[in-house]
Amino acid sequence: MSPVVGVQNLRKRYRRRDPWAVDGVTFEVEAGQAFGLLGPNGAGKTSVVKMIAGLLRPDEGSISLFGSDPGVPQARSALGFAPEDPDFPKYLNAHEVLDYFASLLGLDQAERARRIPETLSFAGLEGERRQIRRFSKGMKQRLGIAQAILGRPKLLILDEPTADLDPIGRRDVRALIERLKQSGVAVLLNSHLLSEVERVCDTVAILARGRVLKEGTMSEVVPEGSNLEDVFVQLVEANQPQRDHLPSFISEGDTKTK
Amino acid sequence: MNGAASVGRYTLLELSRRRILLVFFSIGALGIIALGGGLKVLYQVASSNPQNFGGQQVDAATFDHFLELLFVSYLFQTLGIFALLIAYAIGMTAIYHDLDSGAAVSIFSKPVSRVAYTIGKLGAAVVALMVIVGLLALEARAVMFLFGGGLEAALTGQLVAVVANAIVVMLIVLALSTWVNNIVAAVIAFVYYNVITGVITAVHMLADGGVLGNDVVRNVFDVLYWLVPHQLVSTAVRELAEAEIKISGGEAGGQALATVPAASGVGDIAWWALTVILFAGLVYVAVRRRQV
Repeated sequence: MSPVVGVQNLRKRYRRRDPWAVDGVTFEVEAGQAFGLLGPNGAGKTSVVKMIAGLLRPDEGSISLFGSDPGVPQARSALGFAPEDPDFPKYLNAHEVLDYFASLLGLDQAERARRIPETLSFAGLEGERRQIRRFSKGMKQRLGIAQAILGRPKLLILDEPTADLDPIGRRDVRALIERLKQSGVAVLLNSHLLSEVERVCDTVAILARGRVLKEGTMSEVVPEGSNLEDVFVQLVEANQPQRDHLPSFISEGDTKTK
Repeated sequence: MNGAASVGRYTLLELSRRRILLVFFSIGALGIIALGGGLKVLYQVASSNPQNFGGQQVDAATFDHFLELLFVSYLFQTLGIFALLIAYAIGMTAIYHDLDSGAAVSIFSKPVSRVAYTIGKLGAAVVALMVIVGLLALEARAVMFLFGGGLEAALTGQLVAVVANAIVVMLIVLALSTWVNNIVAAVIAFVYYNVITGVITAVHMLADGGVLGNDVVRNVFDVLYWLVPHQLVSTAVRELAEAEIKISGGEAGGQALATVPAASGVGDIAWWALTVILFAGLVYVAVRRRQV
């Protein structure tokens, strides 16, 4: 079975003088698989998913999205992408945003009338009439996930999907991922919340400084008796310069008191 | 061209809700009423005292025609200014806010091509500009009923020219705002279009009208003139100036009209069309290259 998405030796940097933001990343995601992309801040996770979504151009390497280049619009027709810190046209309301995106997905009027209210209901935004500029970060995040699932994607990319959500929203996202996996949808999850990744993902790749440090199924990456957080911290700390964890002035008060 | 219509439709909806456009439209609409009504009232008060016209007897029809000429003359300038303001406002927001807010990330991850997105945005921007300036012109047309009438065709011709010029400015701002901050884009567009192009056009017109006799200056500005966008002018501007000179008893010709732009010719219109294609192409290139 050919993978839903495959990246080969992907490299990206934003300016010539900058270090590589993504440096030789290779992995594949298959249908029905939940793939977790983990890494510290600046590891290159968002750059990787944006290249898969056709938003950034790789400098080197290749990406296959449903067998095509993600720059081709048709390749993105079965892609749902919920970006980190999502935003939308400010003067539209949630229903209009979904109608706008549904029309870009090529859904006809009847299908839009059926899917949009249900999607808004799932996102807890039914009856919400305010324009996006009045939305909180959490509401935008819910709408971000809503627009990503609207087209019944075969690949759902979630970039830090629960960062601004309350516990109920997080539970809903977990349930959504489980449900999508069961129906054969591939999920690519970028998250800092390791416990969450451990609960929903079958396969993970840990990135640091643009490189994949470790990749495999959850049981391959996390040995018996350990957990994902321990593995993650060990791997990442071994691959970046040691630093003092607290600024020196924090303990100055203690010295003076003594 | 999947998606262009959707992008256009929702961009229009967004533009219709932008307060800055509503403010410019409201000020323009109030300004036109104040201009027409004010002229009528002011001159009626003034005409009640014959001494105000140097003791000359002016018949009501001539006087109304003079007022209408004056009104239309001011109106052309007002429409030009507001069309430019609206063009700047649309150009600064139509694409820039999608890119700046991050909305473009969600939009471009959908199966819509950058060319369809650009066409949708440009179409919506041009329609919005035409509707807003068209509404102002309709209002101006209604205000003209206060006077004798007869200059309606002049208004239509100049309206087309004003919108055509505003489209060029809007495209420049749209293209620049895809690369740089929208305020910086507006400032660069203003310097390029309203200062540099304005000066070149004015000096070229003076040289053409024989006001500047220096052949070197004339040749230099002949070349420069064909390197910048041409501001289109309808026949109405010169006709209006001639009528104003005539009604105030002057000689309409030569030097008197040297500072009044002549109607644009086929070459100017073709150059305008080329400019529009060029800047629309630049908007597309900027959108296509943009990584979000």
